[in-house]
Amino acid sequence: MKFGGTSVATPEARNSAALRVISAKEQGFSPVVVVSAIGRRGAPYATDTLIGALAEVDPPTAPRPRELDLLMSCGEVLSAVLFAHLLKSLGHPAAAMTGVQAGIQTDGNYGNARVTQVEPAGILRFLEQGDIPVVCGFQGVCASPEGWLSEITTLGRGGSDTTGSALGAALGAEAVEVFTDVDGVKSADPDFVPHAPTLRTVTYDEVAEIAHLGAKVLHPRAAEIAMNNGIPLWVKNTFTDDPGTRIVPRSDYPGKRVTGVTHTGKLVYLQFNFESSEASHVRELQSVVYEMLERYGINLFMINVSPTGLGFGVPRSQYEVVMDLMDGLVLPLDGGRPVIYLFQIGPATKEVETQERLLRPLGEQRRIVAEVTEGCTMVSVIGHEVLQQPGIFLRTLRTLHEAKVPVLQTSDSDLSVSCLVPEADMERAVRTLHDAFAGAVEP
Amino acid sequence: MPKQTVFESKRGVSRVEVRDGYSQVLFSGLPEPLVESRIAVLDVIAKAGVSIDFLKLTQSGLSFLVPDAKSEPIEAAIRSIGFRYEVLQHRAIVLAHAVNMRDEEGLIARIVGTAIRCGVQIDHIGDMHDRVLMVVSSEDVSRLQEAIAPIAAGGRP
Repeated sequence: MKFGGTSVATPEARNSAALRVISAKEQGFSPVVVVSAIGRRGAPYATDTLIGALAEVDPPTAPRPRELDLLMSCGEVLSAVLFAHLLKSLGHPAAAMTGVQAGIQTDGNYGNARVTQVEPAGILRFLEQGDIPVVCGFQGVCASPEGWLSEITTLGRGGSDTTGSALGAALGAEAVEVFTDVDGVKSADPDFVPHAPTLRTVTYDEVAEIAHLGAKVLHPRAAEIAMNNGIPLWVKNTFTDDPGTRIVPRSDYPGKRVTGVTHTGKLVYLQFNFESSEASHVRELQSVVYEMLERYGINLFMINVSPTGLGFGVPRSQYEVVMDLMDGLVLPLDGGRPVIYLFQIGPATKEVETQERLLRPLGEQRRIVAEVTEGCTMVSVIGHEVLQQPGIFLRTLRTLHEAKVPVLQTSDSDLSVSCLVPEADMERAVRTLHDAFAGAVEP
Repeated sequence: MPKQTVFESKRGVSRVEVRDGYSQVLFSGLPEPLVESRIAVLDVIAKAGVSIDFLKLTQSGLSFLVPDAKSEPIEAAIRSIGFRYEVLQHRAIVLAHAVNMRDEEGLIARIVGTAIRCGVQIDHIGDMHDRVLMVVSSEDVSRLQEAIAPIAAGGRP
């Protein structure tokens, strides 16, 4: 039973969560609890607040990832101890456990570690004693350079969901229940589509797709672990008696359906045009662009490569890095006809004009101009066995066109069709697509 | 006895998959308004009862994939609208699978850069959260696979 930040944020919320745990125990189950840090952004013990405290020491000095993980793991420790103490006060002995004590082993990527294995001996011991284990979500342990399992790691975004699924798998749990402050997985963001129904059943891969493409109710890594280990997964509301969403294997829920409409990302889209460059240089130009993006760890979305150009979206948070890397970049190429290429990102800056003047005496030069569209986002239609039907792209693009939502690019998978649209039109895009496909959305 | 299990997928490219037997249909120089021309193309395809994959919007048109077996009925249908098009047969989609690949910043750029550098003509590229898809001529599949293989093995090409 995993409880998210809002489920442990206040004494009242913790009480509701604790009563759910006690109810499970009284029904004859042996509950194992996983808790997130207390509250979300802005709350005194939330993970973001802890990071903020570190930043206050000296904003320009970046903390070591190791120390950052040690600090970030504290929020869950506090939460687990409080929750265990609450259970005890309600007459049910409980034991708070860190990720290390719960046997959650990870790789050594601080801040974004992946679970490699779980050794739940400690949890089993407490269960045998009659205690309810209350495990800190979001954290694990990796080996130190000396080979000891002693280095605290955190699991990155959605890490507590991942802890829940990993423990469920290791313990061979009857089910993993993820408790939050909504009734389950919705067919769209209820802020945009208030009538969006709660999906009663979805498959692991549908929920993973929904989560990747924007829904924040469950992290896709949790779905992946549950799927790989055949553990039934539920998303439920801590504060209501709604039955929630059951997540099952594909074989348990066949059929054609549109699952929902999601939105995600604050992106900047860049479209490079190589039409003015020598044909023999295009591959080298493309290659250099991607090499730089790789070296500086830029995440890409909606990539497009053609013989005359390339395009991609980057997170808005990384756009400044891309500008620094590429605006004014000078690339001299031989291979046939020598040309000095000068990259320009968006409208010409003073730096680019200066570069051009300085380069003029050195030989022929040409500009590679990237058209920049800021303020983009991805809106996606998720479906099961339906997106391979003729006309799905037509219906999607026509719906958005009729709603006067421009589509800048598209991408698709077996389970989704995604459109890059202006962020200003995001809400309208989600609503109109949801309404257009509503008949096919199965609650 | 405590259970020990391997949990999350390893980082990086876990496998390379090839889906063969496609034709790429490219429309260029579509008349303005471009959006309506694109919709007219998709309308004709839908009415022909053919499912398309890998739709990409280009500066003056669009491109998509259809199964090779459907390229003839598609051509018959699209000829009627009088737009400029080209059909490239014997295309394959090479998929580099990497679960949660955006957790690893720069991985997508690395896959794409590697593919471009290996000298194969890439007709189109797409990406989802767990894979990069590259459309190439069927003849070039093994060359591309060889280039990407070191990434799948966890090393650098």
